[in-house]
Amino acid sequence: MQVWMKLFAKSPFKPLIKHSEAVLETVETLEKAINAWYNGNYEEMRDLAVEVDRLEDVADRIKEGIRDSLNSKLMMAVSREDVLIYLHMQDKVADAAEDTAKWLLVKKPGAVPDELKAPIIQMGVESIKAAKLVHKAIVQMDRVIESGFAEKEIAEEYGIIHEIESVESKIDGLDTKLMQKVFEMEGSLSWGDGLYILNVARTLSNISDKAKDAAERIRLMMNK
Amino acid sequence: MLITIALGFWMAWNIGANDVANSMGTAVGAKAITPKQAAVIAGLMNFIGAYFFGKSVTETIRKGILDINMIHNPMVIVYGSLAALLAASIWLIFATYNGLPVSTTHSIIGGVVGYGLVYAGTAIVDWWKLGQVVLSWILSPILGAIVAFFVFLAVKRSILAREDPLGSARRWAPFWTGLAFVVIGTMFYIKVLHGSNLLKGMVFYGIPVGFAIFILSYALIKVRFRPKDPYLGVERIFRKVQVVTSAYVALAHGSNDVANAVGPIAAAYAVLSMGLKGMEVPVPRWILALGGLGIAIGIFTYGYKVMETVGKRITELTNTRGFSIDFSAATVILVASWLGMPISTTHVVVGAVVGVGLARGVKAINTSILKDIIISWFVTVPVAAAISAVIFKVFLLVG
Repeated sequence: MQVWMKLFAKSPFKPLIKHSEAVLETVETLEKAINAWYNGNYEEMRDLAVEVDRLEDVADRIKEGIRDSLNSKLMMAVSREDVLIYLHMQDKVADAAEDTAKWLLVKKPGAVPDELKAPIIQMGVESIKAAKLVHKAIVQMDRVIESGFAEKEIAEEYGIIHEIESVESKIDGLDTKLMQKVFEMEGSLSWGDGLYILNVARTLSNISDKAKDAAERIRLMMNK
Repeated sequence: MLITIALGFWMAWNIGANDVANSMGTAVGAKAITPKQAAVIAGLMNFIGAYFFGKSVTETIRKGILDINMIHNPMVIVYGSLAALLAASIWLIFATYNGLPVSTTHSIIGGVVGYGLVYAGTAIVDWWKLGQVVLSWILSPILGAIVAFFVFLAVKRSILAREDPLGSARRWAPFWTGLAFVVIGTMFYIKVLHGSNLLKGMVFYGIPVGFAIFILSYALIKVRFRPKDPYLGVERIFRKVQVVTSAYVALAHGSNDVANAVGPIAAAYAVLSMGLKGMEVPVPRWILALGGLGIAIGIFTYGYKVMETVGKRITELTNTRGFSIDFSAATVILVASWLGMPISTTHVVVGAVVGVGLARGVKAINTSILKDIIISWFVTVPVAAAISAVIFKVFLLVG
């Protein structure tokens, strides 16, 4: 009887999906914070940014749990390295969101011109989209395994990965444009505002960067 | 004699109480059947398997390992059988307590070898036969893994990877059910009707029975409503198939493991009732029935509780995987029973699980168990033999 107690380990996929839900929530809260920032509600933004920090902690704890449960003796449908690196990347998405929240908090908004605010809002929208897609991708990965790696499901997974990649390149474009704009306006912006905007933008674009890295890892999982 | 029967019966009870969970665990774990249903199916099918198909393996344990002609005093066989049973029980209790996945079969063989060595030295042991048995222990889990690997691959190709998995499942699930019955039907011809021609058995018994079951299950499996997720639908169909394959496993389990309990009883009974000539006579059916009954009682009194625990534990197993494991393990075990090879059913099932895992079918398997199993291969026989030898020596001194 002890055989069964030892033989079947817990699948890492349910916790991975749970982790991705926590990451998603972190990014969603960040999006709300950015909207509050856009509307000039500093109080609301601060509460939301603190919430981002808390949610990131939640994701961290789930991550630790998964790491502890994956010992090297496990035989899995996907390699242990891929799962661990994927987890690391997925967690980085939340980390990047936390970074953005930190930058939002360091300074009272107001001095930032609207024409710079707009692209940042757009980047927020896109990065949440990337995080949502990562969630969709890991759910689909579970399905790929469930189907015994059926071509049809793999094709669908590739579709999601491509989508994440295109979102990432879109954010990259937005980021570059924003940087150019900041320097075009260097005469009218204080160095503080400039630094602030550039860093908010950089951390936002980081979210989608990490989302893309996570997606890449899923691609490797399927090609074991 | 009564003590031997009592001890053998207790062994059977133990097999029912503990080992059955290993063979039925996949079906319970995949939620194909409840622990109560598992107990009923396992009880019934173990009895049938033991009664009809249990003879060859029992014969191997009774007189295949030791050269009975070298024993001139019938009491030696009685004491020896008793010693073997006791030694196996002691070792099993110790191993279970320490969480080692040792096999009842290996223990009993060790016990038999132990008393033989004490009585007449190394010459009495049929090393060739013992070698075959040991080889079958190593080969059977590997074979279980290979069969399961291909069965799952076939399920994957024919059902899961199709455009319409649900429709394919409706066509293929009866095929697998039928195939199980081809094996059972052929076994029935060979073991119960004492047919000797394998091909004839397959053509006249196996295939017709299998085909009838195919038609019947095709008619029974109706896709009443199509769930949104086709894979859920496939699993739902295989949940029903698994009711059949779990019975198949129980049948195979009974056919092989009953020998562990009644092999020694049969030996002792034969010499006590008929003297040394008794060993020439085949195992009486009632002894097999007794073993089957013991296993069934073990299941009903304790085994279902173990299955409840197992069922709660294995939540990661879906029905297509459970089916692949069950079907492959049961087939390998039945073939071993046919050949008279006393193998470990648990190890075969573990092998089958790994086979499905190699086909990327199971999300996470703890492979440290494999190391434990391999260690148990090397440890069980010597230890059980040593315990048995000591007990036998004591019996000789006292008796």
